[in-house]
Amino acid sequence: MKKELVGLRVNGRTHELAIEPSKLLLDALRQDLQLTGSKRGCDDSSCGACTVHVDGIPMLSCTMLAASCEGQEITTIEGVSEHGSLAAIQKAYGDWGGAQCGYCTPGFIMTVKHLLAENPKPTEEEIRGALSGNLCRCTGYNQMYQAIKAAVEAEQKGMAAAR
Amino acid sequence: MYFRPDTLDHAVQVLASSGGQILAGGTDFFPSLGDRPVTGTVVDISGLGEIRGVITEPKYIKIGGLTTWTEIIQTPLPPCFDGLKAAAREIGSIQIQNRATVAGNLCNASPAADSVPALLTLDAEVELASQVGIRRLPIADFIVGNRKTLRQPGEILSHVFVPRAIENAASTFLKLGARRYLVISIAMAAAVIQRSSTGHITDARVCVGSCSAVARRLRELELKLIGAPARAELGLLATAHDLGDISPINDVRATAAYRRDAALTLVQRALDACARGS
Ligand SMILES: Cc1cc2nc3c(=O)[nH]c(=O)nc-3n(C[C@H](O)[C@H](O)[C@H](O)COP(=O)(O)OP(=O)(O)OC[C@H]3O[C@@H](n4cnc5c(N)ncnc54)[C@H](O)[C@@H]3O)c2cc1C
Ligand code: FES
Ligand code: FES
Repeated sequence: MKKELVGLRVNGRTHELAIEPSKLLLDALRQDLQLTGSKRGCDDSSCGACTVHVDGIPMLSCTMLAASCEGQEITTIEGVSEHGSLAAIQKAYGDWGGAQCGYCTPGFIMTVKHLLAENPKPTEEEIRGALSGNLCRCTGYNQMYQAIKAAVEAEQKGMAAAR
Repeated sequence: MYFRPDTLDHAVQVLASSGGQILAGGTDFFPSLGDRPVTGTVVDISGLGEIRGVITEPKYIKIGGLTTWTEIIQTPLPPCFDGLKAAAREIGSIQIQNRATVAGNLCNASPAADSVPALLTLDAEVELASQVGIRRLPIADFIVGNRKTLRQPGEILSHVFVPRAIENAASTFLKLGARRYLVISIAMAAAVIQRSSTGHITDARVCVGSCSAVARRLRELELKLIGAPARAELGLLATAHDLGDISPINDVRATAAYRRDAALTLVQRALDACARGS
């Protein structure tokens, strides 16, 4: 397809990209914006490694066009750190061994960020359900569940301390 | 060529003049490409806000074709939609439900499309918009085979209409897959049961999916259920004979015999659940 100008808002910044309108959002992020945190882990929309937020909602960037997102706010893993330091959930993944090779981690973090925004105190069952669209081939999931619970606790303590 | 029209009128014009392929949520569209790039003309309808969301009309509940499965789950709806909501929760993963649309599931017309049994038990109708106007037909007529519908190339599925006549009936949907999450149905069943003030069944709809090219209503069983008391173990009224003309296939996911057996169990459980809930 012939290149066109596509306006994308990513992590709070506006970009004008000259890309083919058939370009996947994942490829535009990685190739044109050098935001390589989001990963491609499959070719059938089943692994979740490419998860980003579109207007705050987790979606698969491998399964949509960049051009479909004009006018919407995209957040990638590069946009989740808070004031330059790791978000609580990122830190917890590190502390609890929630990542080995790390390939799946950005996708997981985007999914978990949304879960905790909607449901600040999820049960184990709710965590498992929420993470079911993300696959990890090496760490296993238990460390992640522990990391998420630790992040939830840290958040609650933080909130209690602030009161 | 790529078009992203922002009104339905414009979309049907562009579709007619370009002969392009429709792109909605893309969750069937892109996986079917594998690692091949998109070619040909694409009419991206994901920006058509006017056919997204759920509206309650006097006689129908009108669902915009672009409504996502997450929106179906989150919209407060009468009890007859419990089955459709349960189906929505089973579609892929949360990321998929956030993007995938009602119209996409119907137009893709997979024998394993989770929304179809529930919508068939609701006697739902589809509305198709084209340059020459709109037409409406029952979903039962719209889906004619494995990935085959009566949609004409210039038509966009704009709305799904669900009659409100039985909106307070109990409903449910059950799916069997090889694992809990992110899985294609081996067999599925949907049921809607309405009962009178005396607790007798006045209307019954039962449908089995993934066991024939198109999900099937079990009409004989439905007739048999009418007049029966809606109480625990209602499911025992369903027998292997009632599965009648479903024609499950052998494939990588299950044998035909296993599917038939599973379908009966799901139907029985669905009826039990409706009897408890009504
Ligand atoms: C990992 C994964 C898991 C999945 N799991 C399930 C599952 O468990 N159960 C299930 O039922 N499905 C499942 N699906 C399939 C898919 O998510 C659904 O069928 C979804 O509802 C399709 O909607 P969409 O908007 O993404 O359609 P698209 O991919 O955009 O379109 C699908 C087809 O319908 C056509 N189309 C779309 N909208 C319209 C319209 N308004 N008018 C006319 N034609 C239209 C398109 O041209 C295309 O041919 C899964 C998909 C993936 C990737
Ligand atoms: S790359 Fe696997 S789901 Fe997107
Ligand atoms: S940490 Fe390696 S795939 Fe998950």
